[in-house]
Amino acid sequence: MPAQKKPLDAVNEFNQYLKPVSLWTDAWRRLRRNRMALVSLWVVLAYIAVSLAAPLLARVGILYDYTEQVIDHVNLPPSFRPAGQLAIERFEDRAAQLEAAIGGRGAELSSGQDDYLEGYESLEGEVEGMEGEDFSFDFAYDATELGEVEGAEDADLLSIESGSNFSFSYGGTESADIDSDPLAAELDRARTSIARLESELAMNEVHARVYLLGTDDLGRDMFSRVLMGGRISIMIGIVGALTAVAIGIVVGAIAGYVGGWLDNFLMRFVDIMYSLPYLLVVIIIMSMVGNQGRGSIVILFVAIALVSWLTISRVVRGQIISLKNSEFVEAARSMGAGPARIIFRHLLPNTLGIIVVWTTLSMPAFIMNESFLSFLGLGVSAPDASWGTLVSEGVRGMTLRPWQLVGPAIAMTIFLFCMNFLGDGLRDALDPQSKNRG
Amino acid sequence: MARFLVRRVLSIIPTMLVIITLSFFLIRLAPGGPFAREREIPPEILENILKSYNMDKPLFGQYLDYLGNVLTGDFGPSYRYRNRMVSDFITQGLPVSLSLGGIALVNAVFLGVLVGIVSALRQNKWQDYSAMSIAVVGISVPAFVIGPILQLVFALKLGWLPLGQWIGDKGIAAIVLPAATLSFYYFAVIARLSRASILEVLRSDYIRTARAKGLKESVVIAKHVLKGALLPVVTYLGPAFSGIIVGSVVVETIFAVPGVGRPFVQAAINRDYTLIMGEVIVYSVVLILANLVVDIVYGFLDPRISYK
Repeated sequence: MPAQKKPLDAVNEFNQYLKPVSLWTDAWRRLRRNRMALVSLWVVLAYIAVSLAAPLLARVGILYDYTEQVIDHVNLPPSFRPAGQLAIERFEDRAAQLEAAIGGRGAELSSGQDDYLEGYESLEGEVEGMEGEDFSFDFAYDATELGEVEGAEDADLLSIESGSNFSFSYGGTESADIDSDPLAAELDRARTSIARLESELAMNEVHARVYLLGTDDLGRDMFSRVLMGGRISIMIGIVGALTAVAIGIVVGAIAGYVGGWLDNFLMRFVDIMYSLPYLLVVIIIMSMVGNQGRGSIVILFVAIALVSWLTISRVVRGQIISLKNSEFVEAARSMGAGPARIIFRHLLPNTLGIIVVWTTLSMPAFIMNESFLSFLGLGVSAPDASWGTLVSEGVRGMTLRPWQLVGPAIAMTIFLFCMNFLGDGLRDALDPQSKNRG
Repeated sequence: MARFLVRRVLSIIPTMLVIITLSFFLIRLAPGGPFAREREIPPEILENILKSYNMDKPLFGQYLDYLGNVLTGDFGPSYRYRNRMVSDFITQGLPVSLSLGGIALVNAVFLGVLVGIVSALRQNKWQDYSAMSIAVVGISVPAFVIGPILQLVFALKLGWLPLGQWIGDKGIAAIVLPAATLSFYYFAVIARLSRASILEVLRSDYIRTARAKGLKESVVIAKHVLKGALLPVVTYLGPAFSGIIVGSVVVETIFAVPGVGRPFVQAAINRDYTLIMGEVIVYSVVLILANLVVDIVYGFLDPRISYK
């Protein structure tokens, strides 16, 4: 029985072991020397890990539900302190401001404060109205049109001067609160809210939440929204790039290997597709299918992947053509390997470096394009969010609530930055001779 | 060269035919239309509507009509805006979009090449590192983040430049922010591209020869290095221009620029199919012509390329 033959290690003339250095170990060695690329690799891996873990974290309760709306916590700025406390302080600030204004000390109300309170109150009215417990609403009429106010007889109208604004409310409590001064009414509401929040503070654990990145205009936690948004954006990046690469490899390999009329036909097709403005095609597809809720993410994947395999198919075709007449392919063919085996076993592994580089560099492009569409309102739709939708929501209130723009924008920029660095590093490592690096 | 030109121009025809055919049948296949309303429409009125949108003929006849109309620049009426033709939107918006795109492209090429030269000549010095850091930021930060931040800083906080809109309302200063936003990414790519290709050319034999002849360094750079190094930048002009034209959709939305981009986005959201298709055709023509110009320029710059 022949003994199992141990492969002989290669030894050089100084009796040192020589491990054969493959392209990949060589590339990994080069990549490790590039510190920026290495750091980027870890950052990207961390992003992916956190995105994968995000739903789990939400279930355990570490991460707040990204769709949950807490109306008391609308538009809170980023802070390490519990949200209930912040909300009370906000009302206290507002009450102090109102007192000062009513006291005629000439203090001006800042419009920023006005804005979030308006949002808060309209929401509060809506929700309370729906619950039907404490049904109340406010009117504000010009007193000159008073004669036509329906239901005015139900309320106790006190002194109303012609031409002045007044507001009154009536509800289940029968206590009509008439005030010719809207500021006093608002002060009253602010004080009620403070009292209510203070009584809820201990009982309701929602008020113990800490919003690291603040909340949005519906009282949702920005931190979990940025994580979940990143999850969708990164997923679109990865799935889009992989789908595009798969289509591109198949088309490019067939065109390059078979050649002839098929090559001609496929490449003319690619040429025509190239002259179509690709994002515009995606916009058409997205507008034709319309808003499909969750399904629109899938359509977005398909739409982006369908139009972006062109470049990689050309690259693969070029590589295959340059390799298909080389000796190792001849050898494989002479040993009876079929076309599929030659393409997948012998040709494609030799083009893998370029494919990996292209995939890495196209991922940030996919994420950018997805955000571009979401920014325009044609991408991911509510309640889901991507970085693009978060940024576009943040842009709307950026002067008053900059944290709603800054959080997602920075999260997205860091990821794109690292992907680009990693892609550059991979290109230097895998393809050191590449020319004209962009 | 002449033969190449003729062939290149002729190849536009099948491409445009594909685009127009695709557009036409997509319009007809798309759900909804000018008469998709909640209320049911009486048959006489429906007939009139169909007639006014030229939809009462057989489909192939409609297709030929559409083809003929597009050739004369008539893209039909808008589905959503009554009494407005698609061509109205285009004739009003295209000059604005093209000038915005043109300014952005010139800006990106000029500054990008300049920064590329400086960082290549000062390789691995602070100028190089800072320029390339800015370039990576430019590649990584999307226009719809840069735009609002520029608005916040230069329009709202500092008040130096108008927040948006275009020359007609706001004067020439209105160009600055949208053009800067639009060109930042392409500036960054061109800066990296020109730096890399200058570094490569600097190592080549003909530069050594030029230096050995005793030419002044400034002459070597200006006459020999740049000529060879700018070829990749010229190749990139085609993709850059198409990217800028498409990217202007976002920039026009952010800065309320009255170009073709904003109606396009609105049309996509409103499913105004005739407007979408008209705009896609116009965009395609612009892009195809731009690529043609780039090919021709390339032929003049690079004597190694002979067009057959």
